[in-house]
Amino acid sequence: MMAFQSVDTIRILPEIILSAFAILVMVLEPWVAARKSALGWLSLAGVIAAALATLKTAGSPGLAFGGSVSADGFSLFFVDLFLAIAALCLLGSIHYLERDRVHHGEYYALILLATVGACFMAASTDLIMIFIGLEISSISTYILAGFKRQELASNEASLKYFLLGSFATAFFLYGVALVYGLTGTTNLLRLREQAGGSPGAALAALALILMFVGLAFKVSSAPFQVWTPDVYQGAPAPVTAFLSTAPKAAAFAVLLRIFAGSLAGSGPVSFWVLWISAVLTMTVGNLAAIWQSNVKRLLAYSSIAHAGYVLVGITAGGAEGVSSVLFYLAGYALMNVGAFILVAHLAGRGERRVDVADYTALAAARPSAAALLTVFLVSLAGFPGTVGFFAKFYVFRAAVHAHLIGLVTIALLNSVVSVYYYLKIVVAMYMGEGETGVSAAAMPNALRAAVVLSVAGIFYLGLYPAPLLAALARIPKPGL
Amino acid sequence: MATSSDLGFFLLVTIVKVAIILWVLLTAIAYLTWLERKVIGHIQSRWGPYLVGPHGLLQPLADGVKFLFKEDIMPADADRLVYWLAPFIAMVTAFLSIAVIPFGESFELRGHVIPLQITDLNVGLLFVFAVTSLGVYSIVLAGWASNSKYPLFGGLRSSAQMISYELALGLGVVGVLMISGTLSLRGIAASQLGFWRLGGILILPRWNIFLQPVGFLVYFMAAIAETNRVPFDLPEGETELVAGFHTEYSSFKFAMFFMSEYANMVTVSCLATLLFFGGWSGPVFGPGWLRVLLPVFWFCLKVFCFLFFYIWVRGTLPRFRYDQLMAFGWKFLLPLGLANILVTSFVLAWIHS
Amino acid sequence: MLQDYIPVLVQLIAVVAVAGGILGASALVGKKRPTREKLSPYECGSVPVGNARERFSISFYLVGMLFILFDVEAVFLYPWAVVYKSLKWFGFIEMFVYIAILLAGYLYLWKKGALDWSR
Repeated sequence: MMAFQSVDTIRILPEIILSAFAILVMVLEPWVAARKSALGWLSLAGVIAAALATLKTAGSPGLAFGGSVSADGFSLFFVDLFLAIAALCLLGSIHYLERDRVHHGEYYALILLATVGACFMAASTDLIMIFIGLEISSISTYILAGFKRQELASNEASLKYFLLGSFATAFFLYGVALVYGLTGTTNLLRLREQAGGSPGAALAALALILMFVGLAFKVSSAPFQVWTPDVYQGAPAPVTAFLSTAPKAAAFAVLLRIFAGSLAGSGPVSFWVLWISAVLTMTVGNLAAIWQSNVKRLLAYSSIAHAGYVLVGITAGGAEGVSSVLFYLAGYALMNVGAFILVAHLAGRGERRVDVADYTALAAARPSAAALLTVFLVSLAGFPGTVGFFAKFYVFRAAVHAHLIGLVTIALLNSVVSVYYYLKIVVAMYMGEGETGVSAAAMPNALRAAVVLSVAGIFYLGLYPAPLLAALARIPKPGL
Repeated sequence: MATSSDLGFFLLVTIVKVAIILWVLLTAIAYLTWLERKVIGHIQSRWGPYLVGPHGLLQPLADGVKFLFKEDIMPADADRLVYWLAPFIAMVTAFLSIAVIPFGESFELRGHVIPLQITDLNVGLLFVFAVTSLGVYSIVLAGWASNSKYPLFGGLRSSAQMISYELALGLGVVGVLMISGTLSLRGIAASQLGFWRLGGILILPRWNIFLQPVGFLVYFMAAIAETNRVPFDLPEGETELVAGFHTEYSSFKFAMFFMSEYANMVTVSCLATLLFFGGWSGPVFGPGWLRVLLPVFWFCLKVFCFLFFYIWVRGTLPRFRYDQLMAFGWKFLLPLGLANILVTSFVLAWIHS
Repeated sequence: MLQDYIPVLVQLIAVVAVAGGILGASALVGKKRPTREKLSPYECGSVPVGNARERFSISFYLVGMLFILFDVEAVFLYPWAVVYKSLKWFGFIEMFVYIAILLAGYLYLWKKGALDWSR
């Protein structure tokens, strides 16, 4: 039996604070009848408190709870990233929920809990603990996807996400079971020690593939991406903003821990699994996005494509590859969250205005909104000056250094294709003739703050990537 | 149990014990029905059964024979297999849990120590709860298989009620577990032997009831609800649901539901005795054989008191309304049980540190 | 250890034999004179309407879900209670936090009306 130490609680302090606030919000919910937005601000306070707590956690790094959780630079980076995503989503949600008349306090509690789950996924060094984190974040997001109970699309999204998601976690768990059967441990650190003499190579490969399938569902990489467009389209847009970033980044963190870390010695199987999946994901995402006329659906396919670029970085591996992936995820979170919460606002009550055609001549009617959206789209396309450019650049550079020329070529071609559909919206906004269809409502302050913060982040990281890159280069990478 | 002859002896003893206990239990249940009718009769200023044998003492036998020869009716659209299975499950689960109930110390026979218990599982209490909670299947399956509306509603209500009160039942005994530190029923009962001396005088037996009065209340109220007895007998509330889940049952299948209900009453009474009233503890004296039998007598006496209490309640109290019933379980017993656990654990931590 | 369960098996066999015997005997001995009316489900004497296996109130599902939630809690308490005396204050605080979290959920359910049957 492992002795309990009080430092253990400090190492998961952000998660504890988030959980406490989630419970508080949940309990207060039935008592707060009129002003539910107060709960939103309370949740935001919780996120900020947790962010402050990460400073305390950073002061005492190490393993906690019998080596099942690790408070290191890697996990703290992800925890901070999830907190940032949660904060932006909360800011973008408060008025959205009021406008669409689904203002229930549970929303905020679920966002916080989903964040807790994502944090645990990134911080765990034990497969069982990872699974628990996966479940916490998944179950919360299943409910969030169906939060508009009155809308068929939202219900459909929730159900599809739930069914496929539970299927995927079953795959993951089966892989975990195989790993345990082969090695007698689920602890990633102990697995790494044993990686040298790996018994049953075929079974090990099968375990790896099963775990990859489970996580591939979560990051919506091909061929497990089919749920993504429907779910992202049907879920409330601020939820999609969260869904397409936090759980995805968490699953990538787990992929990094497993593939770049503990089971790195497993050789060509994991390499080719990643390689093929990266190519398929990019290509499917981009080619499908071209034909979309619904903005949410288009962004959904774009997020699939971005998962493909991230997989390029993971395939590259090594310290440089891992750094580039972390950088990519940070940048991707900024632009995707910003884009989705802005689209949520522009879509108007009930999210009726989500066609590309609705964005016609937006620049004339609402120049600031058009300009902000353009920044997000241009960054997603990877134009220089925005974070999207450097994100892609570092990932591709890492891949080139790992001699993956073919993979980089495919990725570059894909990037070129993607420019078309991002610019399609921009062109419609600036050069389209006629009336704009999107909501004319003024941007609420909270949302404006979130969008402006994202844009500021995009430009900051797009123009001065060096500080973050240097910080990322310093943090110890799992398994390296 | 090293040699095969030892194992053979062990098996033989076990079979004998099982046979005796089942026989005693079946007889006890049969006469429990007689007792119930007699007591209720007297409470209501009637005589109760009087014609078959002296004071109607042969009535249970007559009932059994009558059940056996009655026509067995199965509704036309019933699910045949499930319809048969339901009373079977009811009876098996009800009679299985008695296997871990200790009813006395032990005696020696040809050099072997034979405990007065079929088997002493180290998770005995969990075993009882696990097996008896399977009994809810029989009710919900019976209600569903009959393809009739009253049984369906009765089955649904009953299962909702039973699972609701199972929580309180489980929480009520946690205090006892904390005090005794074991899940073995023999261990729990043995921990209550002896006396507390307050101020140098013999004053109280070491029964858990004096430490856990609230736990006992929660447990016993939940137990009455678990066995679907008055005032919690909503599932078979004849004024609204005819006879509840077994409306469509006849012949011995009908009787099996009754037998399992009474067997469950016996089981929860045994548990109440073991957990809260010191099991077989009581004054013991006399020669060796009496020292073996007296504890059994005390145990049976305590169980009998509980069974009598059951019948007494039935003759006295009216029935709950269904929403009151659910509210009582969820909003009163459950928090009370939790509060009891918190207080008990606080006091114990205080004492032990 | 495992030997403790042999008597349980014996008891199970005996009980199954008794229950099966009763069912069998009653099926053999009892007379069988079914008629259409006799086999129709009981509905206070009137002709039965429709199938009985219809949809029923969602409240039953809710109770089922709540049961699983709190029953898992109760089951968690058991091993804790058995070793409680050696855990002392540490055990108290650990379980206090655990119960407090569940009580928060309980409070939420109560206030939301999930425990009101007559709603």
